[in-house]
Amino acid sequence: MDLTYSPIEGKSRGYRIMVAILGVMVAVMVTSFLVAYLSGLQVWGISDAVPWGQLITFDIYFIGLSAGAIVVSGLSYVLRREEYKPIGRIAVLMGLLIFTGAMVCVLVDLGRPEKFWRLFMYGYLNNMTSMFALNSIWYGGYILLMLIYLWLALENKTKLAMIIGTIDVLWAIGVHSFTGAIFGLIGTREILFSPIKPFEFITAALTSGTALLIIVVVAAFKFTNRSLDKKVILSLGRLLSIIIIVLLVMVFFDKLTHIYFPHRAGALFLFTGRYWWLFWIFQIGMGLIIPLIILFHPKASRSVKGVVIASISVVIGVLGERAALVIPGTAQVQQLYPGTIEGVWGTAGVFPIAFWETTLSLGIISLIVLLFVLALKYLDILPAKESKEAPEPTGESVATNEESGDSIAANEVAGESVATNEG
Amino acid sequence: MARWGMVIDLDKCVGCQSCSVACKAENNVPHGSATEQRQRREIYWNRVIAVSEGEYPTARLEFIPMPCMHCEDAPCVTVCPAKATYHRDDGIVIQDFRRCIGCRYCLIACPYGVRSFNFKDQQEEEYHRPDLPPTRADRGAWPFPQRVRGVVEKCTFCFHRIDQGLKEGKKIGIDVVPACVEACPSKARIFGDLDDPNSEVSRLLATRGSFRLREELSTHPKVFYLHG
Repeated sequence: MDLTYSPIEGKSRGYRIMVAILGVMVAVMVTSFLVAYLSGLQVWGISDAVPWGQLITFDIYFIGLSAGAIVVSGLSYVLRREEYKPIGRIAVLMGLLIFTGAMVCVLVDLGRPEKFWRLFMYGYLNNMTSMFALNSIWYGGYILLMLIYLWLALENKTKLAMIIGTIDVLWAIGVHSFTGAIFGLIGTREILFSPIKPFEFITAALTSGTALLIIVVVAAFKFTNRSLDKKVILSLGRLLSIIIIVLLVMVFFDKLTHIYFPHRAGALFLFTGRYWWLFWIFQIGMGLIIPLIILFHPKASRSVKGVVIASISVVIGVLGERAALVIPGTAQVQQLYPGTIEGVWGTAGVFPIAFWETTLSLGIISLIVLLFVLALKYLDILPAKESKEAPEPTGESVATNEESGDSIAANEVAGESVATNEG
Repeated sequence: MARWGMVIDLDKCVGCQSCSVACKAENNVPHGSATEQRQRREIYWNRVIAVSEGEYPTARLEFIPMPCMHCEDAPCVTVCPAKATYHRDDGIVIQDFRRCIGCRYCLIACPYGVRSFNFKDQQEEEYHRPDLPPTRADRGAWPFPQRVRGVVEKCTFCFHRIDQGLKEGKKIGIDVVPACVEACPSKARIFGDLDDPNSEVSRLLATRGSFRLREELSTHPKVFYLHG
């Protein structure tokens, strides 16, 4: 099968409006960053009780999405499965852009972002026992690998793309395992401390990455009037359902370990504390149960719509899972001395949704989407429209051409609504 | 080399918070507003927590003064990516503001919650130290003349006092002690060299039952508590 790719025209009104809105959001992002940088992180919701907030949540979420997208791209470039070829380039591009967003998140989250270069002074000015310092190797290498991978994919150098793709898929797994280790190795926080955390992170990454890829592929193909074989989406849906089951097993045993032994204050705080809804509604409900019901429903699992709805649920649910780790994980009161700690020191941490932190997060999401739509215009990412099929559904194509402006605007709105849901 | 440690006698502590105030005065730790205190954004290098157990009439309330524990195996030192927090040769865990990148990983890893992040620019008079002029040449008595926002702060066992005292040939633990030890009205805090068998801290640890906070984590804190 010979597949040619072409950029989208990007001249419709809807596309321009979308780029304009995203541009404004990026300006908002820069403003939010400057506000936080100049007035200190007091404008965010974080405190000494919950030291990491929205930015770290989005950081690990994005790293997961990126790792998931790169692993799925391996279906096309490493395993050479022809049916996944149309979505190969888009997966690599997503991996790169979302990871860029993750790096922006972690950079602006620093109290002194201008000193970030210390992380890259290996052994000399940084401390190699820190997971952050180790991750600077993983993250730096990952960005380089993805740039080469994308370039090879665009140049159709399939042999080299297979080699680099294989390395990148393995590297992505390393990247996300070590991201999980940032949390899993912290012995003092009962909710975080778990040897299964790196594996849980990879599995959650695969679910959210596959799910987001499904959404993006369906949206991009639909709103640019390209045709995609339904089987690709349905088989990705089946893949998704299997990974979700693996994730369910991991989460079950992780939480069982934490609740079984009498030392269970952490798990109880997660299940019944102030942030119970992050765990039960988002992580368990939207991340695991709802998508599993849809993906095993005899009818819904065979329709693109059903798979897309399950994917949206997963994408939001996994964001909830990240939040259920970062926020209750640190908000729980540490038992310093037998008894009840009185006053403010014994109160579980509260994490309010702060304005400038939220605008910054939304701005970073917009930055990723903006880079993505620009890449669709300037790079050969999507498969070219097939000339054979174009004349066939004439009536339909005319109709969609008329509506193309609106439909892209609708795409924009859909993207925004996902963004706000994520926020 | 000495190994500095502190012994806190819970039997003598009355929970007056003099140590917290003295620490703030000595180290120019800013005073937060009531809102900041409620939001847990006020900087504390030393605090006193009240722990209650049981119900009336068998209720018990204990005050636990908490400086940095200066753990021998400190999780904050392990996780700090920028070498901003490290052990001095005398065992004091130091936070270097110049190196700190503000990632707050140490706040996550600290089992005692004794670290504070600086969330905003503090008022100038709160950290200006005209009495201890810093000289870059030999780091001076106070190496951090400028408190900056966006970095993590913590107790230093008043190492500037110790260094100054050693230079002047004074006896640490007798003539020179950290500000919190000096200010304690009931003399509940004792400071000294844990390696010196003749020091007051060694004598107390040898003769009285003591414990350390969260010993099960094996961080080996150098702050010991005598049972109240």
